Amino acid sequence: MALTGIYAFLFYLAFVVLVAGLGYKIVQYARTPAPLKIPTTPAPTTRSGVALRMGREVVLFESLFRSNKWIWIFGWLFHAGLFIVLARHLRYFTEPVWWWVDLIQPFGKYGAFAMIIGLVGLWARRLLVDRVRYITSPSDHLMLLLLTAIGVSGALMTFVNHTDIVAVKAFFLGIMGFEFASMQPLPGDILLLLHLGMVVLLMLIFPFSKLLHAPGLFFSPSRNQVDNPRAEPGLRAHDSRHVAPWAVELETDRKA
Amino acid sequence: MTVRLLSRLGIGLAWLVLLAAAPLGVAAGDNPLLPTIVPGKGDKCVEPTDVMRRDHMEFILHQRDETMHRGIRTTRHSLKECIECHVQTDDQGNYIPINDPQQFCSSCHTYASVKMDCFQCHATTPEQK
Repeated sequence: MALTGIYAFLFYLAFVVLVAGLGYKIVQYARTPAPLKIPTTPAPTTRSGVALRMGREVVLFESLFRSNKWIWIFGWLFHAGLFIVLARHLRYFTEPVWWWVDLIQPFGKYGAFAMIIGLVGLWARRLLVDRVRYITSPSDHLMLLLLTAIGVSGALMTFVNHTDIVAVKAFFLGIMGFEFASMQPLPGDILLLLHLGMVVLLMLIFPFSKLLHAPGLFFSPSRNQVDNPRAEPGLRAHDSRHVAPWAVELETDRKA
Repeated sequence: MTVRLLSRLGIGLAWLVLLAAAPLGVAAGDNPLLPTIVPGKGDKCVEPTDVMRRDHMEFILHQRDETMHRGIRTTRHSLKECIECHVQTDDQGNYIPINDPQQFCSSCHTYASVKMDCFQCHATTPEQK
């Protein structure tokens, strides 16, 4: 029961740090001025075009694909695996379970393999490619270690040493609904405690780490800007041609 | 936002204190957080409850392999015996299929979003005597 209390407290703490920390960073990113027009060209000339390109960037990692195929293969494999694994985990936090979670749940199992293969590939790159190893810091290794360990401990629970998942879900529904009177004890399986402990650690360091590339991507000036430096409103541009203010005055004079 | 987060933290702390002060014992049957747990017929299962909750699928699949592939037919981990013990009857004394909503299998399987394929072949009730 003490264990249950400690883990419940850790999850409340980690949740607060994650949400507050991410909120703080997002506000900071949103307020940071981006005075220069610097979209990576060729770039879309309309806002919907930019949204589409951002969508491809988020879903397919388009620019990474163009720059480095190896990083793209392993990176995308990891993120796609992580996405489906996280979606599958929703069954522990929703009651009744959403219909589409029911649908993907059986396939989500194999996401763990995609995740782990991706992480091992990315780690191998940091160890085997000389120039990448040179710029690799301990935090890069530790982050890969943490993510790999979370993935491996989770996969071990799915495929080798099961835990009582009904009790796990009851525990999480309890802390999510603040139902302390009917709180359920967390099973004491070592793999589960390791898995959850490392997830808490990940939630705690997320807002202070390079994992902030997740929200950060949306605030990248080179990715979120429309390619219209020659068509800013107020310059009376001819849609595609930049007209200097003094030239605008000349044109106005001529018409008058 | 911040106020709400702080209050959550506060509640979390308060709960920790509460836990230290008075251990809470609540019967599993009437807990809103848990699926309905249908009691079986006998005193105890063929394996301890803790083990069954974690590994029942391994026993059933292992039993299938032993029976189908190797021809060794035993009763200890037989699905037929599971159903025999855990099936419920309605008011008329007829068996309710064990994979009906709220029955022994489906109650937890729906809760945990896990599909069963046992009953695509196997009967969901014992033979009516």
